[in-house]
Amino acid sequence: MTRSFLILLIALALISPVFGVWLATLINYSEPLDVAADLINQAANRTVLNDTGYLMNWTPFINYTVPGLPDWAGYIISAYIGLAIYLLLYTALVRWRRVKRTG
Amino acid sequence: MHIPDGYLDPISAGVTWAVMLAFGYYAYRRSVLQKYMELVISLAAAIFVAQMLNWPIPGGTSLHFVGGALAAILLGPLAAFFVLLLVLLVQTLVFHDGGITALGANVINMGVVAPLVGYAVYKVLRPRVGVFWSAFAAGWASITAAGTAAGLEIGLSPWFPYGWTISVPVMACWHALLGLVEGAITGFVVLYLSKRAPEYVRL
Repeated sequence: MTRSFLILLIALALISPVFGVWLATLINYSEPLDVAADLINQAANRTVLNDTGYLMNWTPFINYTVPGLPDWAGYIISAYIGLAIYLLLYTALVRWRRVKRTG
Repeated sequence: MHIPDGYLDPISAGVTWAVMLAFGYYAYRRSVLQKYMELVISLAAAIFVAQMLNWPIPGGTSLHFVGGALAAILLGPLAAFFVLLLVLLVQTLVFHDGGITALGANVINMGVVAPLVGYAVYKVLRPRVGVFWSAFAAGWASITAAGTAAGLEIGLSPWFPYGWTISVPVMACWHALLGLVEGAITGFVVLYLSKRAPEYVRL
């Protein structure tokens, strides 16, 4: 992971709410799959496909939100949480390789 | 594209999880994962961020980059499995984007079907139509195939009463449209990398 690559990802994460939150609300966005499910439920006049994600949830960051923060800020923090996980994995791998080589 | 919890019955969930684990074991044994691990994690980070940049389309839907074909063109379809697996694990476990019961199905669609189809299309077309158009076609085909696979999984699950003859055409047509953008992004990224950093394009 080079420095410029990481900076690109950090910048992309910073502008991500423009797409993921702002334009999404503007246009009343939902996942293609959710739209298809809604259409099916309407056609059947009952709930055929039911997204139970919120009923059986384990994470405070559901759908890229952070409790207490506005959606756009939560979205950026979520992107950074994800990036931090990959960066940790990457660092651990590089360090492990170094130990293996010298050890 | 991410199937949420509640769409797949326990048997479909179990079968798709088993297929994911079996393919993962096969890919682990056959791919040179050790050698490309740094690239796998870096690409997973990039695709994770790219998937957050979803572009809403008037009418209430949206599209975002999936990256299965791109990962396959850069690393081969077996290592690409681990790229998409890493992306989906973080999305599912940390953000509940895609269900835990549907993780197997989601990994099959985006981490097995999309890379395999993208890789095959790129490999066949590359000598004939050049880098950009072969990567474009690979991106488009990968999304269309992954959407079709998702339609099949939902349609075959007994919780969906209309069967796959309804779900497959709906999902396939929808994703054939969305795939055009996937194709364009895949085309541009592969073209850029093949000129600036050809060492990253394995195929």
